[in-house]
Amino acid sequence: MAAVPGTVLRLGSPPWMARWLESEPQPLPGMWFADETPQIEVEVPAFRIDRCPVTVAEFAAFADATGYVSDAERAGYGMVYGERFWEERAGACWRTPGGPGTDVDGRADHPVVHMSWSDASAYARWAGKRLPTEAEWELAARGVRYRIWPWGDQWLPGAANTAELHAGRLDALDAWLDWWRDTCRTHGPLPRTTPVGTFSPAGDGVHGCSDMAGNVYEWTASPSRLYADDAPCDPALRRVMGHYRVIRGGSWMNFRYQVRCSERMHGDPGGWSNFALGFRCAAPAPARHESGG
Amino acid sequence: MAKILLPAGWTHGTQTEFDVPDGPLTEVLKGFALAHPAHRRRLLGDDGEPLAYFNVYVDDDPVARADRAAAEIGADSVVVIVPPLAGG
Repeated sequence: MAAVPGTVLRLGSPPWMARWLESEPQPLPGMWFADETPQIEVEVPAFRIDRCPVTVAEFAAFADATGYVSDAERAGYGMVYGERFWEERAGACWRTPGGPGTDVDGRADHPVVHMSWSDASAYARWAGKRLPTEAEWELAARGVRYRIWPWGDQWLPGAANTAELHAGRLDALDAWLDWWRDTCRTHGPLPRTTPVGTFSPAGDGVHGCSDMAGNVYEWTASPSRLYADDAPCDPALRRVMGHYRVIRGGSWMNFRYQVRCSERMHGDPGGWSNFALGFRCAAPAPARHESGG
Repeated sequence: MAKILLPAGWTHGTQTEFDVPDGPLTEVLKGFALAHPAHRRRLLGDDGEPLAYFNVYVDDDPVARADRAAAEIGADSVVVIVPPLAGG
């Protein structure tokens, strides 16, 4: 695990980020990103965090040791993005991430997917860890200084597993849809995750954590809340504040703008998961041994 | 008239709030999708029935999947549609 010193973090994005996003060739309205503003000061005690997302092999060890059945296994389906949109695909779960006929052979070192918030929390407890708060996650990703991506403010196309790694530069939704249809035809429903740490060290953050931009969306422990009660927010998104949990990091399905260190997504913690959703764990910093005398 | 509120991430900078007739939730959603075909793929399945994956809030109260078939939308109600992964 990476050790991260405690600090006071200015969580979220400064005002110029919203203006920059509006000026960039990306398809989402500025309001959709408003939940990452205004910046607020958060005291973050020292902690440790996994350098990489939890892998298929690690989650398999947990399931084998405990008999744990994931929410998607119990429900009998998992969310997979089909040719048109998200669909509840029968039989999709972490063992069969694209549904029946798919498996995780050869993917032991890929991040585990189809993880609900409860699945992630159960694994973390078993491992003697916990999920990171969103402030811990953002601090681990970018350090105290604001950085757009873990490595800095310039996009590096080969430093993260996003849709743009597979499709080349994407600036518009139609281009994404073209890539997606092609991906469905040529790769089927298997998630296009990469082995954890593939982009290390170029894609790592200042604390040595890998895959914090893309690969899989990652659950945090934090309930979704606005940084200020009067902060602007999409009205529909405002409705889930207090109900959802914060998700960070973006995934292999996203544009470069959605894998920024301060980008927030929000997930239903009531058993839902999808084939791009995983997690990493955190833990308290080791206790300091005070010298006697 | 009741209202339907969609997430901005679905509408890409266009209208997110729509007036709809009151009535059974299922019929309200189907009627809305018919009137606004751009949103149909996210709301209705191939069978023309409302998909179940998204969350529905009526006047701030979540409507569980099992309760949607019987849910009625009043004339002053606001129906909010939010996917299980929202934001960004």
